[in-house]
Amino acid sequence: MSGYYIPSEGLQSFAQSLMAKMPVVAPVAKGKRFIFDQLGDVAELRLDYDTTVLPPKKVFFPPKQDLLEFDEGKATSCLDPQAKVLLGVHPYDIKAISMTDKLFSDNYADSNYLANREVAVIIGSNVQTPYERAFYGSIAQDLELVGHDAFLTKISDGYVLDVVTEKGEKLIADLGLADASAEQTSEAEGVNAKADEDCPVKLPFAAGDVSEKVRNSFKSEIWDELSKDCFSCGSCNLVCPTCYCFDVQDEWGLGASNGKRYRRWDGCLSSEFSEVSVQGGSENFRENRAERYRHRFMRKTAYLNDKLGAPACVGCGRCAGACTADIADPVNTITRIMES
Amino acid sequence: MAKVRCAWFDFTSCEGCQIEMTNFGAPFLQLLDHVEIVEFREVMKETTDEPIDIAFIEGSFSREEDRARLESIRERAGVVIAFGACAATGGINALKNHMDMDDYKKCVYGDDSNMPHLDTQKAMPISAAIKVDMAINGCPMSRDEFVRIVTQVIHGTEKVYVPSYPVCVECKLRETVCRYEEGDHCLGPIALAGCGAPCPADGIPCEACRGMVVDANQESMEKVLQENGGMSEKRAKDKSRMFTANFRSDA
Ligand code: SF4
Ligand code: SF4
Ligand code: SF4
Ligand code: SF4
Ligand code: SF4
Repeated sequence: MSGYYIPSEGLQSFAQSLMAKMPVVAPVAKGKRFIFDQLGDVAELRLDYDTTVLPPKKVFFPPKQDLLEFDEGKATSCLDPQAKVLLGVHPYDIKAISMTDKLFSDNYADSNYLANREVAVIIGSNVQTPYERAFYGSIAQDLELVGHDAFLTKISDGYVLDVVTEKGEKLIADLGLADASAEQTSEAEGVNAKADEDCPVKLPFAAGDVSEKVRNSFKSEIWDELSKDCFSCGSCNLVCPTCYCFDVQDEWGLGASNGKRYRRWDGCLSSEFSEVSVQGGSENFRENRAERYRHRFMRKTAYLNDKLGAPACVGCGRCAGACTADIADPVNTITRIMES
Repeated sequence: MAKVRCAWFDFTSCEGCQIEMTNFGAPFLQLLDHVEIVEFREVMKETTDEPIDIAFIEGSFSREEDRARLESIRERAGVVIAFGACAATGGINALKNHMDMDDYKKCVYGDDSNMPHLDTQKAMPISAAIKVDMAINGCPMSRDEFVRIVTQVIHGTEKVYVPSYPVCVECKLRETVCRYEEGDHCLGPIALAGCGAPCPADGIPCEACRGMVVDANQESMEKVLQENGGMSEKRAKDKSRMFTANFRSDA
C-alpha cells in the first residue's frame, strides 16, 4: 500500500499518538532482557531490543486466560476483546503469529484466541540488534511475511513505515505522516533485503532433509543422550512463539455454586502434559524425558511442516537462551542429529 | 452448604505457617463464611475431641511419641492436609537428617543438650506416620494455594489439581527474567511449583522450599549450579539440602 517517513526524533510522538487511540503493547526493558508490555511512558519503548522473554502471542493468547465463569449451572464467557496496537514485532515473530493464526483457526476456530487477534493491529519492525542465539536467517525462509498491518524499518535518519492493510491505513490515516521519498523507500528495502545476513547463528541444513532425518531417528538412542540433562521444566515450550498447547482447569469459587474455567500455557516437555485418565487411574503416554524431548523436536522439525508450509520454528533462539541446561537449542540438536 | 469443621495441629515446626494464616486478607475472611474453626492454638483456647472435617497438620514427624497423637487426629478427621513444608516434606527440620544427633543437639541447645525430651529421630513428613490426603506446600505455606485447595475441598472435590511441574513453568508464565540470565543461581528447575514463583520475581533465587518435583534431575541441577551458577562442586551438592534433604539421592 503506502510508505511513510518518520524522522528519528518523531518516533516517540508517533507512538504517543497511537497511545492516544488505544493501548500500545511494545518491547520495553526488564532486567537484562526485554518484554512486550503496555506502554505507560513512551520513553520506555525499545525498538532496539534483541528479543523478548515471552513472544508477542501472549497479547492474544495470555499465559493464563479465564474462559468462562459459572454460577447456578449458568456459564458466561469471559471473552472481552480489547483493541490494541502491537508495536515492534520482529519478522520471525510475525511469521510465528501467522502460524498460530492458522493453528487456532483450522478445523476448530478457537474464539478465545481469534477474538483477541482480530482486534489487534500489528506494526512490525526490523531487527536492529539480533539476539545472540537467533537463527531466523536460515529457517522458515519460504514462509511469506504476512499477518502484520504495517512495518517499521530503521534507516539512517529515521524510519520508513510501510502500511500493508486497510486496518493499518485506518490506524494512521489522521496522523499526518509524511510520505517516504524514493530514496528512503529504497534504503529501507535494502535494509530488509540483507537483514538475514546479520543473524548470528546459521542452521546449515534444508528443512526437507532435516525433517526426513529427524523422523528417521525416531528409534535412535540419540534422544537419551540429548535429553540427559533435561529438567522437564517446559521453558523451551513456554517461550516459543509457535507453541500453542494449553491445559484447561475448572475451579470452584468461594460461593456455594460458582466457579470458573481457565486455560494456561502448557508444554510437551512437562510430564503431566502427556498424562491422561484411564478408567479411574492415569496413564502417561510419554513417560520418560527422552520421549518428551524427542516429541518437541518432531513437532518443531517434521510433524507440522505440511500444515504450515514450513517447520514450526522461526529461529528466534528464545528456547536456546531459556534452557538452563542449554540443551534446547534447535541448531545444536538438529546438527547433532544430521551428523549422526 | 453446612460449615466445614476445621482444626489446626502442630508438631515439629516454628508455627510460621499458622502465623502466616493470621496474616490473611480478604479471601481468607470470605472462606470463614464456609468454615468453622474448632481448634487453632495460635488464635483460640478451645480444643476438640470431636470429629473434624479437615485437619491441618503443621510440623514434621520427628519423635516416635507423636505417632499416637497423629493417629488420633487421623481417626477423627475426614480429610488430613499436611500444612506447610515441615509437614509435607520434613521441611527445614530435615537439615539435620544427615548429621549425628549429639552434634546437632549440641549445636542448637549447647549446655542443655542432654535434656531427654530433646532426643529426636529423623525429621520426616507426617505421611511417614499417617495417611495424608493433600499437602499445602511451602515454607511458609502459600496463602493463595491454601485458599485454592481449601475452596475445592469444601466443595467436596476429592482430588484437587495441583501442579507436578517445576517452578520454572510459573516463572516463565509471569515473564520473570531468569536468575541465571542475571548471573545468579536458582533451584527452580527441580523445585515443585504451585507457589506462583514469587522468589525469582522478587529477584532472589528459588530455594525449593516446596520440595522437589517427582523426577527431579538432581545431577543436571548440580551441573547447572556449577557451570552457570558459579558454585564449587561441594556447594552445588549441598545447595539442595536446606528444604529438600528428604528428596536427595543421598537421603
Ligand atoms: S530442554 Fe531445557 S528448557 Fe526444555 S524442558 Fe528440558 S531443561 Fe527445560
Ligand atoms: S523452537 Fe526455539 S528457536 Fe524455534 S521458534 Fe521456538 S523458541 Fe524460537
Ligand atoms: S514450613 Fe516453614 S514456616 Fe511452616 S512451620 Fe515449617 S519452618 Fe515454619
Ligand atoms: S529464575 Fe529459576 S525458576 Fe525462574 S526460570 Fe530461571 S531457573 Fe527457573
Ligand atoms: S519460588 Fe521456590 S523458594 Fe520461592 S516460594 Fe516458590 S518454591 Fe519456595
